[in-house]
Amino acid sequence: MDTMLFTGRSIWTMIHGIVLGGAALMGLSAALFSLRAMRVADASDVAAEHQTRHLAWLTVFVAVVLWLTVLVGTYVNFPPYRATPPEGLTDLSQFPRSLLQSNPGTVWLHAFAMEIKEHVPWIAAMLATAVAFVGVRYRSTLLIDALLRRMSTALLAICFLLVSAVSLLGVFVNKVAPLE
Amino acid sequence: MADSKGTNEAGANGAALAAFLGAGIGAFAVGVMVILNESGLFEAPALYEPAGGVSGRTTIAVVIWVIAWAVLHNRWRDRQVESRRVHLATLLLIALGVLLTFPPVWRLL
Repeated sequence: MDTMLFTGRSIWTMIHGIVLGGAALMGLSAALFSLRAMRVADASDVAAEHQTRHLAWLTVFVAVVLWLTVLVGTYVNFPPYRATPPEGLTDLSQFPRSLLQSNPGTVWLHAFAMEIKEHVPWIAAMLATAVAFVGVRYRSTLLIDALLRRMSTALLAICFLLVSAVSLLGVFVNKVAPLE
Repeated sequence: MADSKGTNEAGANGAALAAFLGAGIGAFAVGVMVILNESGLFEAPALYEPAGGVSGRTTIAVVIWVIAWAVLHNRWRDRQVESRRVHLATLLLIALGVLLTFPPVWRLL
């Protein structure tokens, strides 16, 4: 008998959480490490110029991947999550939001976790975009200019914390009420 | 004029600070859209019905972010701007934006 190992909804959830979200977290880690480890004092350093080019592309990669994560999450994964079940349906496994709300022990996963997941990633994407812009436009000075580097690091660190927290909440939601 | 603390190819830090502050304003806009919705003062229309109100709230916040960034960029791109105050304002706006998206905060309303 032919059985599908993963449904389309399940595959999109994996693309959102593991492929895109995971790539964003790895990219953020690499960018934060690079900003810290690659800082230099001499603008004419040839190696530094090479490094800053990679760093600029890394910040662009993070921003693009975060926007894709946010858009897939909002416009592909969220609609089936919040779909309303037909009247009288007792098996709510295909309706994650209703499933979470049907049990007092899991209500918080919608009222707290999912509410945060709906909005906070958009903030992270905006912050990453600002850093990517600075990474590209100020490529030759980002690793030398202490104030610029510090602010870029701060925004990426905030971004990393927000994405980590939201990812963890996503794991909780998906463990209890997966999109299948 | 460029000072010793912040320069770019053009000799001005204004474009970077415009991007940072623009992101702070965008983050704050997300928080404001959420709190307005939760308090019942303004409900953004659903731009994509299956996703519901979040599609409207986030789209409006993105538009505010892009406009704020564009205006700031236009004003500051060739200027050397005092960084510390802009950095502080950016961090404050981000903190407020994140705080306003936090359900325990809007349940205090």
